[in-house]
Amino acid sequence: METKFAVKIDDLTVAYDYKPVLWDIDLAIPEGVLMAIVGPNGAGKSTLIKAILGIIKPIAGSVSIYDQPYEKQRKLVAYVPQKGTVDWDFPTTALDVVMMGTYGDLGWIKRPGQKEKKASLEALEKVGMLSFKNRQISQLSGGQQQRVFLARALVQNASIYFMDEPFQGVDASTEIAIINILKELRKAGKTLIVVHHDLQTVPEYFDWVTFLNVKKIATGPVKEIFNDDNLTKTYGINYKVAINK
Amino acid sequence: MTSPQIEIQLIAVVVAIACAIPGVFLVLRKMALISDAISHSILPGIVIGFFITQDLNSPFLILLAALTGLLTVVLVEIIQKTGLVKEDTAIGLVFPMLFSVGVIMIAKNANDVHLDVDAVLLGELAFAPFDRLLISGMDLGPKSLWVMGVVLLITVFLLFMFFKELKVSTFDSGLSSALGFSPILMHYGLMSVSSITVVGAFDAVGAILVVALMIAPAATAYLLTNDLKKMLWISIALGVFSAVAGYWFAHFIDASISGSMTTVLGIVFLGVYLFAPQKGLISVLYRQKQQRTEVSLLTFLLHLNNHSEENERHLNHLNEHINWQKVRAKTVVELGVKNNLITIKHDVVSLTEKGNDFTKLALEYIITNKDEKIEHMKEDFFLFRG
Repeated sequence: METKFAVKIDDLTVAYDYKPVLWDIDLAIPEGVLMAIVGPNGAGKSTLIKAILGIIKPIAGSVSIYDQPYEKQRKLVAYVPQKGTVDWDFPTTALDVVMMGTYGDLGWIKRPGQKEKKASLEALEKVGMLSFKNRQISQLSGGQQQRVFLARALVQNASIYFMDEPFQGVDASTEIAIINILKELRKAGKTLIVVHHDLQTVPEYFDWVTFLNVKKIATGPVKEIFNDDNLTKTYGINYKVAINK
Repeated sequence: MTSPQIEIQLIAVVVAIACAIPGVFLVLRKMALISDAISHSILPGIVIGFFITQDLNSPFLILLAALTGLLTVVLVEIIQKTGLVKEDTAIGLVFPMLFSVGVIMIAKNANDVHLDVDAVLLGELAFAPFDRLLISGMDLGPKSLWVMGVVLLITVFLLFMFFKELKVSTFDSGLSSALGFSPILMHYGLMSVSSITVVGAFDAVGAILVVALMIAPAATAYLLTNDLKKMLWISIALGVFSAVAGYWFAHFIDASISGSMTTVLGIVFLGVYLFAPQKGLISVLYRQKQQRTEVSLLTFLLHLNNHSEENERHLNHLNEHINWQKVRAKTVVELGVKNNLITIKHDVVSLTEKGNDFTKLALEYIITNKDEKIEHMKEDFFLFRG
């Protein structure tokens, strides 16, 4: 069977002030995988996602989402930025943050109505945060804030989900709740691309992995390529990880 | 009230509202300083515009000056992007430069131009009613009321149309960009509105005080609410209040109207800063005191949990054993009894069943840091409310 690719990246190079952060990346992400992007700090993991989503302009290369440029496929894509990139003291509630996920479908000027509110409440319910819907976002714990972010991505009802470190600073029960939702999404045929830090959990959580350190080191099924050789190539030190087979 | 008095107050109210709306977003975007920069660096734009039009309320002058405001923003960003200096330094470099160019231009032409630095910096609301809008001989009211009225209408219209876009780009520029609402476009849109508002308002309240009208109501409202829409309404209400109260304060002590308005704003902010129910200083201090007591109570409960021997739990030994002052020990014990966490029999303190459960949950929380364990306890205790 021919593989359908959700995301295709060709010769992508991104630089900040002439210093390449991503160098000549070729990457094809098959539809329906739950993929981890791993690599050391400064490897360009967040930058890769931002470049795919057009938040950062690359100096070379191209990105396509289901064979079309991102600008034409916005509605197929949901994005969970790193939790630390927003101001959690912003005067708004959990429900309101989730509603922001509906803005993309609405487009300019049109306001969210009852339909959007209902969808947002359902998304909050799915992440176990319904009882916190009216709570001001600064009054939520780190794990709860991350769940709100996930609910906001769910409400976008996308085909491809990009998540930047969704497990950062969350408690164990939130981590389990989030990974279960991600696995459920994959079962529903969605493609998920997750920047991930905890190498120990890669084999357990993901079925696809990309090793990144400015250049792409390797990409493929976790079972085949998640090994000490690639880890050493990526992290530059002898890396031994216990992988349960 | 005479009709000029009504007109002055009307202008003040319109200026205050027009400033309060962009002010909310500037404060939330942590860009308060930029409004200060804009308010100063529009000076050369105003001077050049005035040379050409000879009319401080001409739309052409306003546009030209607003462009100088945008130029400030662009220059600050260019300098900042070099990575050689931080944003505050870049702001500090750009606006005094542009401002001083304006000052020199005024000084060189002071003899034949009806414009001086004082008027630019402080404005004079009291004179606003003298400059009338006349169309084919008909008196349509003060010009500055018309100018600011139009500015306010544009602001309200844009706010109404792009409220959701402004909100999402302010809160999360990454998501905003991914959704297709360009944060850069929103940024420059807000900067343009701010520039136009500052230019329109400077004639009435002056370049320095216009900053206060933008920032103070928003900063005050921020302390009073957790809702963006309410924050906008509260800012507007505070602006209107300070405009009217400031006018009568100035009338009473025979002083500058704009100065009085800003003073009122300052006093209102101080009051809210002290007495706001959630974020105010007094309520924060009170909460900290409560938290200290509760931490003490928790320590005490853990102590009781650890020791079954009676001499460790005797009231008279509290001071020795956990080294507390009498007053503190008394507050802690009273709080424990009030919440049915402990009982006292013959001066010996024991944990109640509730106290036992509470201690266990608290211990578990401290160890695991899992929030859901203590959700129901949050009602009784400040300590767990983050």
